[in-house]
Amino acid sequence: MDNIALATILLPVLGAALTAVSPQRAAKWVALVFAALAALSVICLAVDFSDAGRVPTHYTLLSLGTAEVIGLTLDSISVLVAIAVVVLGLLMVAYSTDYLTLGNREHPHEGRPRYYAFLLLFIGAMAGLVFSSTLLGQLVFFEITGACSWALIGYYEKPRALGSAAKALIITHIAAIGLYFAAALLFVKTGTFSISALAGLDDATKTLIFFGVLFAAWGKSAQLPLHAWLPDAMEAPTPISAYLHAASMVKVGAFIFARAIHEAGAVPHVVGWVGVVMATITMVYSFLLYLPQKDMKRLLAYSTISQLSLIFMALSLAIFGSQLAFKGAIAHIFNHAFAKSLFFLVAGALSYTCGTRMLPSLRGLLRNVPLLGVSFCVAALAITGVPPFSGFFSKFPIFAAGFQLSAEHILLLPLVVIALIESVGSFAWFLRWFGDTSPGTPSQAVADAAPVPPMMQTVLVVLIIMCVASSFIAANWLG
Amino acid sequence: MSVALNLLIISLACYAVGTAVSLLLTGAEAVATRVAAVAGVLGGAAGVAGSAPILLSGSTIRFVLDGPFSFAQFAVRIDPLAALMVFVISLVGCASSLYSLSYVREYAGRGAWAIGFFMNVFIASMVMLVTVDNAFYFIVFFEMMSLASYFLVIFDQDKESVSAGFLYFLIAHAGSVLIMAAFLILYAHSGSLDFESFRQLKLSPVLASLVFLLAFFGFGAKAGIVPLHGWLPRAHPAAPSHASAMMSGVMVKIGVFGIVKVGVDLLGASQAWWGILVLAFGAVSAVLGVLYALAESDLKRLLAYCTVENVGIILMGVGVGMIGVATGNMALAVIGLLAGFYHLLNHAVFKGLLFLGVGAVLYRTHTRDMAKLGGLAKRMPWTAGTFLIGSIAICALPPFNGFVSEWFTYQGLFSLGHGGDFAARIAGPVGMVMLALTGALATVCFVKAWGVTFSGLPRSEHADEATEVPRPMVAALVMLAACAVLLGVGASVVAPAMAGVASALTHAPLTAVASGTVVFPANSGQAVLSMPLLTLILIGTLCVPLLLVAALKGARLARRHAGDAWACGYVQEEVMTVSPSGLAQPIQHLFSPLYRLRDVLSPARASRRAIDWMVDATTRMEPVWDNTVVLRCAHAVQWTGRQIQWLQHGDFRVYCLYVVATLAVLLLVAI
Amino acid sequence: MPNLGMLLLAIAQALLLLALAPLMTGVSRMIRARMHSRRGPGVLQDYRDIAKLLRRQDVAPAASGFVFRATPSVNLGCMLLLAMALPIFTHLSPVGVLADLITFAYVLGLARFFFSLCGVDSGSSFAGIGAARELTMGALVEPTMILSLVVVALVVGSTNLGTIASALAGGSYFVSPVALVTAMFAFAFAVFIEMGKLPFDMAEAEQELQEGPLTEYSGPSLGIFKLGLALKKVVLAQFLLGVLLPFGNLGTLAGAAWIVSLVALLVKLLLVFVLAGLVENSMARGRFVLTSRVTWVGFAFAVLAFVFYLTGF
Repeated sequence: MDNIALATILLPVLGAALTAVSPQRAAKWVALVFAALAALSVICLAVDFSDAGRVPTHYTLLSLGTAEVIGLTLDSISVLVAIAVVVLGLLMVAYSTDYLTLGNREHPHEGRPRYYAFLLLFIGAMAGLVFSSTLLGQLVFFEITGACSWALIGYYEKPRALGSAAKALIITHIAAIGLYFAAALLFVKTGTFSISALAGLDDATKTLIFFGVLFAAWGKSAQLPLHAWLPDAMEAPTPISAYLHAASMVKVGAFIFARAIHEAGAVPHVVGWVGVVMATITMVYSFLLYLPQKDMKRLLAYSTISQLSLIFMALSLAIFGSQLAFKGAIAHIFNHAFAKSLFFLVAGALSYTCGTRMLPSLRGLLRNVPLLGVSFCVAALAITGVPPFSGFFSKFPIFAAGFQLSAEHILLLPLVVIALIESVGSFAWFLRWFGDTSPGTPSQAVADAAPVPPMMQTVLVVLIIMCVASSFIAANWLG
Repeated sequence: MSVALNLLIISLACYAVGTAVSLLLTGAEAVATRVAAVAGVLGGAAGVAGSAPILLSGSTIRFVLDGPFSFAQFAVRIDPLAALMVFVISLVGCASSLYSLSYVREYAGRGAWAIGFFMNVFIASMVMLVTVDNAFYFIVFFEMMSLASYFLVIFDQDKESVSAGFLYFLIAHAGSVLIMAAFLILYAHSGSLDFESFRQLKLSPVLASLVFLLAFFGFGAKAGIVPLHGWLPRAHPAAPSHASAMMSGVMVKIGVFGIVKVGVDLLGASQAWWGILVLAFGAVSAVLGVLYALAESDLKRLLAYCTVENVGIILMGVGVGMIGVATGNMALAVIGLLAGFYHLLNHAVFKGLLFLGVGAVLYRTHTRDMAKLGGLAKRMPWTAGTFLIGSIAICALPPFNGFVSEWFTYQGLFSLGHGGDFAARIAGPVGMVMLALTGALATVCFVKAWGVTFSGLPRSEHADEATEVPRPMVAALVMLAACAVLLGVGASVVAPAMAGVASALTHAPLTAVASGTVVFPANSGQAVLSMPLLTLILIGTLCVPLLLVAALKGARLARRHAGDAWACGYVQEEVMTVSPSGLAQPIQHLFSPLYRLRDVLSPARASRRAIDWMVDATTRMEPVWDNTVVLRCAHAVQWTGRQIQWLQHGDFRVYCLYVVATLAVLLLVAI
Repeated sequence: MPNLGMLLLAIAQALLLLALAPLMTGVSRMIRARMHSRRGPGVLQDYRDIAKLLRRQDVAPAASGFVFRATPSVNLGCMLLLAMALPIFTHLSPVGVLADLITFAYVLGLARFFFSLCGVDSGSSFAGIGAARELTMGALVEPTMILSLVVVALVVGSTNLGTIASALAGGSYFVSPVALVTAMFAFAFAVFIEMGKLPFDMAEAEQELQEGPLTEYSGPSLGIFKLGLALKKVVLAQFLLGVLLPFGNLGTLAGAAWIVSLVALLVKLLLVFVLAGLVENSMARGRFVLTSRVTWVGFAFAVLAFVFYLTGF
């Protein structure tokens, strides 16, 4: 099983190397093949893991003396998240093959090998990060994803895009200091980098390490006060936004925090309080910034920030001892990845077909480009948490856990209530935009829309299905 | 009982088939709509057949399945209350689907398949909603119901319907979040999301009241109680008429059902003031609802406001019942709830009938504006006749069904006023007066609705050219009209069934409310009523004048039916006929402060201004972070860089000095 | 279920009231004429009017529909039903299962529904305005009527007319006398309005507006309608007398005692109509939109009665 896991990490990296050297016309097909292979291997892994009874297993890959430097952890969390990131990676590559063409009305441009290479490398790094069993491994992949994201955000090489890319790199790199600090402290105290060593530490050290991890997580997941890079990163090509800024990279933060909580046993409550308070503040802040957005992608960026803060809230609740919140958080990572990717890809498809993604100039999608209208609707409902779409099924346990814990910690109640209100507010806002853009007589931009290319259509349909199915998959998987 | 359960499963399977086929055959619209309609009819019929035995026998079926979610079991509980709701949903659903067989032709080529799809989802999720016994699944189906109906509301995709849909779904969703909060508070204390565990729970009075209030306002938003009714008169008219019938006739009852479920079933109606609260909101909704209804000249809006009124009447009964439970007066509890449930059933039937009737008018004339209708009774006799039955029933006039349930409501309020403490003695009679006023105003409202639409002279070409609607639509109308008659005349059968539901719900001993053809409110000394006798005598007395006229015929000439009405010697013109606004004008004049109040209290303008302000403020807020923190930091870094640049001014000797200094420092440290 | 004898009694009393109705309206007309210092028609004039109308041709506007045709019968039918349900000779109603004050109010409502609707259905604008006024009056009177009756019913503990009458005859007056008297006054007020009396209505006037929904009726339809309206007045008066003032009525119907109660009935009815006529003709007619000010007085009395009841007076 460890070999399959390794293959999942290394196949995309190998693919990246091959893509980088292949000629421009062949590059996207090479990339597609390797992304598909990676997806295949992660599915094999999931099947094997499931057949083996979903027992958490641990492999050390590299150790110095007694100190584990790099290793793999296979448990239901890492496999589930790996499925999401690798499969979504495949879908993004597939989508990109149609998106980065001259037919694109907003950015007529044929994709370069560099683009696909970085994307594949990113997939590999994500898989590596998810499977890592050590803080050092996490740190390495954390930095690789940061570098790839710099390359991909700045892909169009326009001044604004380059600036945004630098901003993203610098902020996430500053955040990485937290992880450096955590890894160093862990090594000093225990002599190993293995995350599971956290369990044996005293409360004070644990708290320090957790703050380090949390700081890094905030940076990667664009939480206050390190959120500033994400809205600007919308300069990236849309499939990149979909993948990096919805499905995978921003989840890195939440994931390393989750991993640490999962391994550390009892965590001091102060970490939970800091986490939950900051999550609430971020949530309110990002909700307020929904309001002025006219660019669909920026709106989605802020929505991502608020959804991630919900995940952080859930993880912080898990620190207070709620398994329900923890599972809810993992399920939400999984569900949100698909739903938000769909939403970004709709924005991309709108750029492609209508040449604009500015919400006020869109109207009547359902008449002229019904698939995009339906996708918009499904994505919005999934994200805001309306059953039978996925978001609800992971939000509900989080709120349930919040109420349950508030019986003990009454101060949590107002925070959970704020989260509930924010949920209604974002529902209202997305519903409003759905009503403004999808029904009705088509606007000029929509009336002149080009047809959606087949590969993009396929990806959208798959994601629509996943927006319903993902919650059930996650629920079944996590038990 | 397993037969009943199987029938219910068959019913759900029918809806599922209807849903799936509509989705798969989007290309073949005609087939898709037909299959969806037939599936709805069959599902409705199976649902009626399945729920009736449970309703009449008063038994309860409960079983638990493992759902995919570890935190919630898929518990199903079909108790008499759930069976009543399934009955109501299925009955109106069956008629609406039958009706849609012809009605959706109106939408041909505009995605008519979607109507069938969403209707089936809508009906099925309501059936599931009332039968599940777990808070999580309850919320799931509640939201699915709102979702499906939202798409029905925005189906026309015009500005009005989209904004109505937005308001509707937003309020419904906010309501569901309140309900969720109520359930989660219960969950926090019981540790399980099963309703069964909620029933066992003993909460402190404060907490129980909090839960009740959350649920009351959450469900109240769905039920459309004043002041949470703003969405209702906008959303219900926007949907296709048979969907309006489902929404107005059935969906708002889910709100009532929820209030009963949480207030009585889960929390045991432990405090009397809850009942007073429900009663008060009900009474105010009833009066204001009908008052606003009679000012409307849009038929569907009129009916929608009238739904607010009837929900109010239902809640008055429920409130009385809750007071009864809280004070331990089980007879009062049963009578109050009986009245509420009976009116719930009745209102579903006649409101369904009326909305389908309006749909028929709309189908032929393409307008809902009464000012453009008129004279349809001669052109659409079936529609007019059934609509008249519905109108009489909704005004609670004998001998139709509305009368019986309001009679029970009066009796419940009377019992409340007769016994009980001081508050109850005031509340009961005040409620009766409000109900009386409501009844009188409803008469105005429906004289106007029927009169202006169906009688007199046609006021537009469309109205003049109208013909009777196709057979499936007539059949649906006749079916519901027959129900309205039967539920009235058969009071002595229906009332005990409702009493059974009420006593099963409150764990009260079975209370007799009927003997032979006579019904009475638990205590036959208080009042008695025999609907069959009333009907028979009424038919008999109606014959007396006919006999009189026939007997005294003499040399009378045959009846002449021609010419214009007398207009003081002037020629009768179209504009001289009764206008919709004229008929209600005196009432509007009398109650003008209450109409003004509606405009003054309307939150629309204030909320629009608040949102504009927020958008403006946040637009200014967005760059603040970047400018004050990020850029400052960046500048600070650059500035620091420039400051320490002087260390490197390129002189080789200085660098040597650095090396020496460093060595010296290190040496010092080492020592 | 009532037995056959009781049913026959019910039919008999309904027919009796029907027969008396034109007489009573005739008395009203006579009193009015006398107070106007006219000679006026004889008390039997209404019998002659109706008999004549029944022999005339029935003419209706082309626009009118089946509601227009049915309404006279419905109106009279409802009133006959009420006449059957009222306690007239005895304290108890012969068909007790219909003698409920809620039922009573709503059967009256059914008559009003059709009465107004036929006005609209005639297609005449005057009839329409009449219908609007009738409906408005209904909305104004209904609360007074219900509240005053509810106060009486609460004192007795039943909404059954027979039970109320028996209890009052048996001395329930003394339970809370002030409340009862006030309630009765309020109810009498409501009855006065419902009987179609000045200043609220004057169906005898010649102008179209005041004829209200009757404008377009003619021949036998009009005859039946007039009969129905007359019966309505008698029924309402008898409600006041038989239920709230059951003096002279019998506990049970035995032997020749019914003659006593018949006489009592006639005397009391006559008294009510004379009184109503006197009051009616000494009042001025006001603008319609101001009628609510008058009806509020009636409602205030009913509220007062309720307050007295609550405080136990």
